[in-house]
Amino acid sequence: MKRQKRFEELEKRPIHLDGFVKEWPEEGFVAMMGPNDPKPSIKIENGKVTEMDSKPAADFDLIDLYIAKYGIKLENAEKVMAMDSTKIANMLCDPNVSRKDIIDITTAMTPAKAEEVISKLNFAEMIMATQKMRPRRTPATQCHVTNIRDNPVQIAADAADAALRGFPEQETTTAVARYAPLNAISIMVGAQTGRPGVITQCSVEEAEELSLGMRGFTGYAETISVYGTDKVFTDGDDTPWSKGFLASCYASRGLKMRFTSGSGSEVMMGYTEGKSMLYLESRCIFITKASGVQGLQNGGVSCIGIPGSVPSGIRSVLGENLLCMMLDLECASANDQAFSHSDMRRTERLLGQFIAGTDYISSGYSSTPNYDNTFAGSNTDGLDYDDYYVMERDLAINGGIHPVDEQTIIKARNKAARALQAVFEDLGLPKITDEEVEAATYANTSKDMPERNMVEDMKAAQDLMDRGITGVDIVKALFNHGFKDVAQAVLDLQKQKVCGDFLQTSAIFDSKWHVISAVNDANDYQGPGTGYRLEEDTEEWERIKNLPFAIDPQNMQL
Amino acid sequence: MSEIDDLVAKIVQQIGGTEAADQTTATPTSTATQTQHAALSKQDYPLYSKHPELVHSPSGKALNDITLDNVLNDDIKANDLRITPDTLRMQGEVANDAGRDAVQRNFQRASELTSIPDDRLLEMYNALRPYRSTKAELLAISAELKDKYHAPVNAGWFAEAADYYESRKKLKGDN
Repeated sequence: MKRQKRFEELEKRPIHLDGFVKEWPEEGFVAMMGPNDPKPSIKIENGKVTEMDSKPAADFDLIDLYIAKYGIKLENAEKVMAMDSTKIANMLCDPNVSRKDIIDITTAMTPAKAEEVISKLNFAEMIMATQKMRPRRTPATQCHVTNIRDNPVQIAADAADAALRGFPEQETTTAVARYAPLNAISIMVGAQTGRPGVITQCSVEEAEELSLGMRGFTGYAETISVYGTDKVFTDGDDTPWSKGFLASCYASRGLKMRFTSGSGSEVMMGYTEGKSMLYLESRCIFITKASGVQGLQNGGVSCIGIPGSVPSGIRSVLGENLLCMMLDLECASANDQAFSHSDMRRTERLLGQFIAGTDYISSGYSSTPNYDNTFAGSNTDGLDYDDYYVMERDLAINGGIHPVDEQTIIKARNKAARALQAVFEDLGLPKITDEEVEAATYANTSKDMPERNMVEDMKAAQDLMDRGITGVDIVKALFNHGFKDVAQAVLDLQKQKVCGDFLQTSAIFDSKWHVISAVNDANDYQGPGTGYRLEEDTEEWERIKNLPFAIDPQNMQL
Repeated sequence: MSEIDDLVAKIVQQIGGTEAADQTTATPTSTATQTQHAALSKQDYPLYSKHPELVHSPSGKALNDITLDNVLNDDIKANDLRITPDTLRMQGEVANDAGRDAVQRNFQRASELTSIPDDRLLEMYNALRPYRSTKAELLAISAELKDKYHAPVNAGWFAEAADYYESRKKLKGDN
């Protein structure tokens, strides 16, 4: 065939590097309402569920058993199941129906019914509903702080940098697993230096992650994965009962936690039972509710390429975030994985959560350039900051972060690097040189950092665990080297674990350690003039308005 | 070729081939000392600013005694920086008043686990993962929770899991 020249040019555009698949329900390649999804139903006899979503109790797998026992408010269930799904969908985006009235209905549904309700909403209606159903009134966002060489000094500097930009939660992980304790300490010290009140986590294997929290190196955890089919749940090395127990273990140590799930994980792991992504995700959300966990990270997450490949997939992903909020769970709404080569499509991916506002619009936004992102890259990164600030300013939307001037960032990066240098010295960890402090202060990526002896670092990380070092030792180390304010902030974080206020739904802290959660900052959106308004949040609106690269007419030489 | 193309190719190959799919494993990326008082409500939250007098460390130190000076002179140790069953109960009451009874139930289970040493707690969690334990081993932990740690709700949790793991084939040797 003789090629048409415009077609040839179009094929060179980045969007052609993305993957698209036609629907294939047998293998789970269908966003929602797949032909094999069960018909919603419930039968209750003597207070026990004897049938759920067309399946008799004798055939229940562990997930069904768990949801039927702990996940549904049975008193209202028969009434709610008989309601018209379109009517419930209508109530969701009707600003005159309160959030509370919706939750009385949604918490008495089955997973298949919830899926059906979501399927009645178009993308704009989902945004309307999300604006109302988000548990916390004030939206926020979360970031990743990593680098491919696990350089601790750079992690500390980047954490301080990100804290100043407004991320109230920060997540790190490792390039090399044995670095975990060092990364956890580095992000905590850096974040508390940048802005007291930021909470930090280190995503590693389940049991090890809890162990880091028990020692006072982290404040919360999020990568506690749940899945929608029994086979995949088992392959993930857990059951609903073990995950529910783990949730209570975290709370017993005063640590905040949420689960993680997301469309596409069952496709990726090969066992969908022929069900649609939204149906399987609905089961994950009900497992989370059943466990009494306060929140969930969902929305495709690291498997976003799968829902992103099928028709209506990105709409369905906003739908799953909404479903999470409909069950009154904190929602960290993903946007945390590089999945498209097209800048236009990356923006499209972000749009729903960004416009509506969620508890954490991204979970997380890569605070470094994606080169250094060891979660395999995020949808937005450290080089998108200025674009993102302009989007917030153009649309008068609080996307969770704000511009900070260069001098302030340099100062905070330097202080965080020096604070970590002091901690390493005091705890007998491999030396952080002045040259490294200087490099971390001005670095963009780990290419700008001097080499460290990684073998020594890893040995020291193990030794630190063996010696039983805790958060208290870090507080003392900081104080001993003159970082009294950072020592106080690290101690204040530990103090919050004694008090437990941040175990409540959607909790973050401001710089004075005042908790902001769905209990004392409950979303009260009921249409225009209500709910969170950026213009009423005058300090934040000023920060967003005052883009450093905007022309100031006051200073113009005419 | 994109990730999606690779995956589709892989599935096609598996469908066309043997039962290899079964071999595919993927690792994911990624009794309280009750003080008598009326149940707390949303209005009592946050405890940090509204009711610091109600919050204590496990050794009975007041929240306001957790200061830098006391850490530096070792009056506050790592063991003091832990939540107590009493505080979890109060946070559970707040959660319940805010309409979140499921969260309260989680805090109730958690309050029973505060006295279990870290290492033992991690072992218990690992024992509850699939294919790790026999039914007798799970029931032994259930008894330990009940008798040694006065944790009846969690004891019931393990006993319930033991039953379901047996019928749904998640016990040691079932894989």
